[in-house]
Amino acid sequence: MAEELMKKEEIDEMEELLEDDSPKGMFMTFQVGKELFGISISYVNEIIAMQSIAAIPEVDDYIKGLINLRGKIIPVIDVRVRFKMEPCEYTDRTCIIVIDVKSTMIGLIVERLADVDTIAEENIAPPPSLGRKEHEHNKYVYGLARTKDTVTLLLDPEKLIRQDDIVTAMEEVRKEEQS
Amino acid sequence: MAEEFNTESMLDMFLYESGQLLEKLEGIILEKQDADCFDDADINEIFRVMHTIKGSSGVLMYENITKVTHKLEDVFYYLRESHPDDVPHMELVEKVLAVSDFVTGELDKLKNGDTPDGDEKQLVEDLDEFLGRLKGEIKKQGIQMPQANKHVEPTQFYITPVAGDDSHFYRISIHYRSDTQMSNLRAYSATYALKEVAEDLLYTPDDILSNEASADVIVAEGFHMLLQTKSSKEEVIALIDSSEAEEINFDELSKEEYGRALSEFGREEAAPAAAAPASAKNDANKDAKKEGPKPGDYVVKTKEAGKGKTLAKNQPKQQSIISVNVEKMDALMDLIGELVIAEAVVLQNPDLKVPGLELSNFQKASGQLSKITTELQEVIMSMRMMPLTNTFQKMRRIVFDVSRKLGKDIELEVVGENTEVDKNIIEHITDPLMHLVRNSVDHGIEEDPADRTAVGKSTKGKITLEAKNEGGKVYISVKDDGKGLNKEKLYQKALEKGLIENKPINEFTDKEIFRFITLPGFSTKEEVTEYSGRGVGMDVVVKNIQSISGRLDISSVEFEGSEMTLVIPLTLAIINGIVVQVGNSPFVIETASIKEFVRVGEDSLISEPSGEEYIVLRGECYPFIRLNERYDLPDSNDKIEEGIIVVLEHEGSQVCVLIDKLLQEQEIVVKPIPPYVRKVKGLSGCTQLGDGSIALILDIAGLLMHDGERR
Repeated sequence: MAEELMKKEEIDEMEELLEDDSPKGMFMTFQVGKELFGISISYVNEIIAMQSIAAIPEVDDYIKGLINLRGKIIPVIDVRVRFKMEPCEYTDRTCIIVIDVKSTMIGLIVERLADVDTIAEENIAPPPSLGRKEHEHNKYVYGLARTKDTVTLLLDPEKLIRQDDIVTAMEEVRKEEQS
Repeated sequence: MAEEFNTESMLDMFLYESGQLLEKLEGIILEKQDADCFDDADINEIFRVMHTIKGSSGVLMYENITKVTHKLEDVFYYLRESHPDDVPHMELVEKVLAVSDFVTGELDKLKNGDTPDGDEKQLVEDLDEFLGRLKGEIKKQGIQMPQANKHVEPTQFYITPVAGDDSHFYRISIHYRSDTQMSNLRAYSATYALKEVAEDLLYTPDDILSNEASADVIVAEGFHMLLQTKSSKEEVIALIDSSEAEEINFDELSKEEYGRALSEFGREEAAPAAAAPASAKNDANKDAKKEGPKPGDYVVKTKEAGKGKTLAKNQPKQQSIISVNVEKMDALMDLIGELVIAEAVVLQNPDLKVPGLELSNFQKASGQLSKITTELQEVIMSMRMMPLTNTFQKMRRIVFDVSRKLGKDIELEVVGENTEVDKNIIEHITDPLMHLVRNSVDHGIEEDPADRTAVGKSTKGKITLEAKNEGGKVYISVKDDGKGLNKEKLYQKALEKGLIENKPINEFTDKEIFRFITLPGFSTKEEVTEYSGRGVGMDVVVKNIQSISGRLDISSVEFEGSEMTLVIPLTLAIINGIVVQVGNSPFVIETASIKEFVRVGEDSLISEPSGEEYIVLRGECYPFIRLNERYDLPDSNDKIEEGIIVVLEHEGSQVCVLIDKLLQEQEIVVKPIPPYVRKVKGLSGCTQLGDGSIALILDIAGLLMHDGERR
């Protein structure tokens, strides 16, 4: 109970931070596995506590299902599964970040919220590339940011939600061609 | 920016307002199409509509709209002020509709962000000429001039005007270049120009305005005119617009030759002496037209005066209405749905379950609250409902246009146009309905009135458009008393086109045979007309109707007529559903598609080696789907005797589905699955249950299709 309250306060605090007129360079950071990820807060609509999710059959495993956000039905994806990590149990700390990408509302399930940070442009470096082609299409991490003593991976939400759909679409086309 | 915004909102207002006004205008016109004239109120109303559109289009500098509306306003100003009692009503109706169409076309261009660049000249000229004639006729009437029909298009009874000694006779043939567009209009403008000087003018083809196909004839064979005039050859040549013309032949004829040429034109020359007094009567032309419409020419409907007025009384009264953005309505509906759920959360709050609480006041108050929220829900639902009046009005217009163009005499009866249907559904049925109505006019009603009298029907065709609300469904039927469907013909045709299995006709039921016409690529009409007959119609109609989970019923008796009935749900947004559970997931099945629930034992199950399973119920064998396997749902039961079998039906095919348990029956608000999630076969949407959780809605058609594909 106590922890729940704390969490509520935490969320409120975050929301407050969000309320501030968001200048460029503000990032919502959250933890998935061991890494810290950041997403530009211009995409972030709100943060909600974990709630019951209605599973949809026959979809990619990272699409967890649908939630009811005040009468609006939006899909949620599990960022861990999206990053091909082992799924983990949802806890009280698990939250859903509701983002709005080109008027598509999508919830991101993240293990833990970290902070809202300002990251200066000069602290952002492109991710080191090994020059391998197959990584090219997988670039939902567009930059690495150094803050204090940590490294935050900055996410491009458009690629985060789109990429695989392109792959599946291509697969479908291939299947059709075969048949 | 601010300025830009301003003009935009002005444009929006203009579009909206003008659209409304035109709709109203069309309403008046079609209501009075069969009457003999407009009454004062109508004239005033049309005048006002034209005046308003003229004003606002002037402000926004859409000159062509302004000019056209101004002209029509002039006409009605004249009608209002001078009360002429000999107005060719049919022609007036046509003119008003032409203007209405023109303006609607321009508004559509504006809506799409294009510039309204339609050419108004022809229309303005027509109106000018019409107005001139109106005024002229009054004068002539006053002094009883015997040749009142000089400017009027030729009618079947042709009266040769008295030729003066100094009259010249010419035969003029214009050949247009083969790539000339709308040569019929060019030809018309030539005749129009010549009418100025003509004592008499005849031309062939003679239906250049009413028949668009005449354009091809003119290009192929040329446009021929016979002219009697006092003007000299040079004057006449100067009048003819020679652009686009390849060759103009100009022969001067003697009076005798002219007479011969007349009969070549296929005119029956009435004896001038007998006809002349008749033409002195005010409405000689009208009568002549009424007596014998030529095929392809406009049909003037004869109807007793006053009929228009009785029709008017059946019209619903104009209510005071404000228009609201649909998005706002949807938002309100969502909010109210949310409110209902919040209410459930409060009233069934676990905190209230503490033993020993005194809750009687709370219960009373909450009872009141529930009542209000329920009512609120009903109101918002009713707000989305719209009467079919507007849709039906469009149908009137179609019957009007098509029947005249095809030269058929048809009466349209409209029943139950106040029936209310969800707005979304109205949008979906307009096109299919339009198609059905066209079909009835074009194919249903016999071409030759003699065919009708031969089987004891009146010469006038009748189409009935009826809407009614019955048992949560809306029935909209288009009924004609035409020739009906010929089963033998349909069967032969379907067989020929390879659309059906090759089995004898008596193995098909009547309904099955009628349903052939909805097969893609089927069209019984040999010739493709402008309106129907391409064979892409009926299958599209059926598809559209199915997309809103409706169906099309066809019944017909040969020589008596056919009836096409659209059966559609009252609303798309709400369906009556049964909530069932499989594993941990709730699903909703539309109540209407459920045939029965049964529990069966293992012994009713037949398994094929391939893994396909069937259920035998009362000796019938049904395909069987385990929902938990299909959708890979954990924690569900696999034993057939512990679960429940739901027998589902969709368009005659049945399927058994295994579920875990039934939860409840409830009205559900259908919401689409967000497009981000790839379409899943067998699911048509999702909904929010009373406790705020989400349930997926099963789509029976999808399930069946999926099942078929797997095999």
